Amino acid sequence: MSLSTAEALTDALREEARRLLAEGTVAVVVGWEAGRFPNQTTPAFISDPEQAQRLVYGDYCVNTLAKYALGEKAAGKVAVCVRGCDSRGINRMIADNQLLRDEVYLLGLPCSGMKDPATGSLLMKCRTCTEHDAVTYDVLLGPATAAGHDGASADSSAGDSEHVSDEQRFTAVLGIEEMAPEKRRALFDAAFNKCIRCYACRKSCPCCTCRECFVDQLRAGWQGKQNNLAENRFYNITRVFHIGDRCIECGECERACPMGLPLMALNRKMVKDLKSLFNADDAGMTEENSAALGRYDLGDLEEFM
Amino acid sequence: MPVNEAPTASAATAATAATAATAFEPTILAFCCHWCTYSGADLAGLNRMSYPANVRVLRVPCSGRVNPQFVLTALNKGCDGVLVCGCHPGDCHYVSGNYFARRRLMAFKRLLEFTGLEPERFQVRWISGSEAGKFRDTVIEVCDQIRALGPYRSGVSDDVSLNG
Repeated sequence: MSLSTAEALTDALREEARRLLAEGTVAVVVGWEAGRFPNQTTPAFISDPEQAQRLVYGDYCVNTLAKYALGEKAAGKVAVCVRGCDSRGINRMIADNQLLRDEVYLLGLPCSGMKDPATGSLLMKCRTCTEHDAVTYDVLLGPATAAGHDGASADSSAGDSEHVSDEQRFTAVLGIEEMAPEKRRALFDAAFNKCIRCYACRKSCPCCTCRECFVDQLRAGWQGKQNNLAENRFYNITRVFHIGDRCIECGECERACPMGLPLMALNRKMVKDLKSLFNADDAGMTEENSAALGRYDLGDLEEFM
Repeated sequence: MPVNEAPTASAATAATAATAATAFEPTILAFCCHWCTYSGADLAGLNRMSYPANVRVLRVPCSGRVNPQFVLTALNKGCDGVLVCGCHPGDCHYVSGNYFARRRLMAFKRLLEFTGLEPERFQVRWISGSEAGKFRDTVIEVCDQIRALGPYRSGVSDDVSLNG
């Protein structure tokens, strides 16, 4: 987005946040504020109307905020800045009975994809994003991306960011599927070997909302404490399978991963299979829970007998 | 028929040492549904059918009880293959357990294969209580396939070839 668009949106966001807090409509506003370095932002939690001017919006608001609503809701109603990914995350948490729609106030923001602070090019998760603009909101603070989109911000690698086809979305998956099994094994073994099991992928994921995660159930002993390939594979495959049918494809897990694991390739493999096998809907588009593995159909395909 | 033959006294010495490298006997864990496949396996025994002793039968109430994590754990703990057997669709004692299992395990199998697991190492079959022959044939088939593949390397710490 252009500098003027970003400034206008920042002003509108600050004004709306100040008004909501001053009126007492919400207890806290979740947004972004400037970080220590240029082009860096960090999630901000504002509960004082005087502090609303700390909020910013621009090309580098890389965090998807949905999950933060859960931590803040104890204080009262939470206003959350939402783009496509954030709003789908909120919908997902409503569908999973983690959140009530009344507990959040959604400030819709247009988005033309966020940029990587390190390189200045469009973030990987935004290149394959199918929903840039909020799918649900209480107030929309700017024109939808289609109108607000200007040539200056269009990253050459983004192509037409308006419509990401399934082919673009599943490029990584299709590429890996074509590999020989040994190559796939080598690829994922190398990735899982790098994993340090910091669980940042779990922490950032709007679908990972179990009160007690299987990795923390020490007495049940699902997850061993060793950091080796077998345990890392166990963790990563289980994580994908737990969220696979509910994944909103926000890409936060992959962005949060300090070791650069191809987590979205795994997630999208599930999304792609469930879509082709069981005609699963894209998750988080509505507040309804339609997770494909939570239901069945008598006429389901069979690949074994 | 590739029945697990009892080792003879003569085979225990030099012959074993010579063939030890090639004679691999897989360990296969079979999750069998209590209402169908377990009865089918029982019937196979009653009928004196012989099948490889490589299979370890683990009774579960329903194929829907099989948590995909069981499969990963079995492979990590030294099994070379996992077989999940349940009632045919429509025959589930709990009405819908195997329908859920069908979706879940189909998606899971594809995910495992995506990460490079050989398809033969994780298989799902429907075997009813009267299909003793199918149980025997399935076990023989799976056992042959996995014997041909060789041992599964999960990459636990002593598996130096994969930790790097």
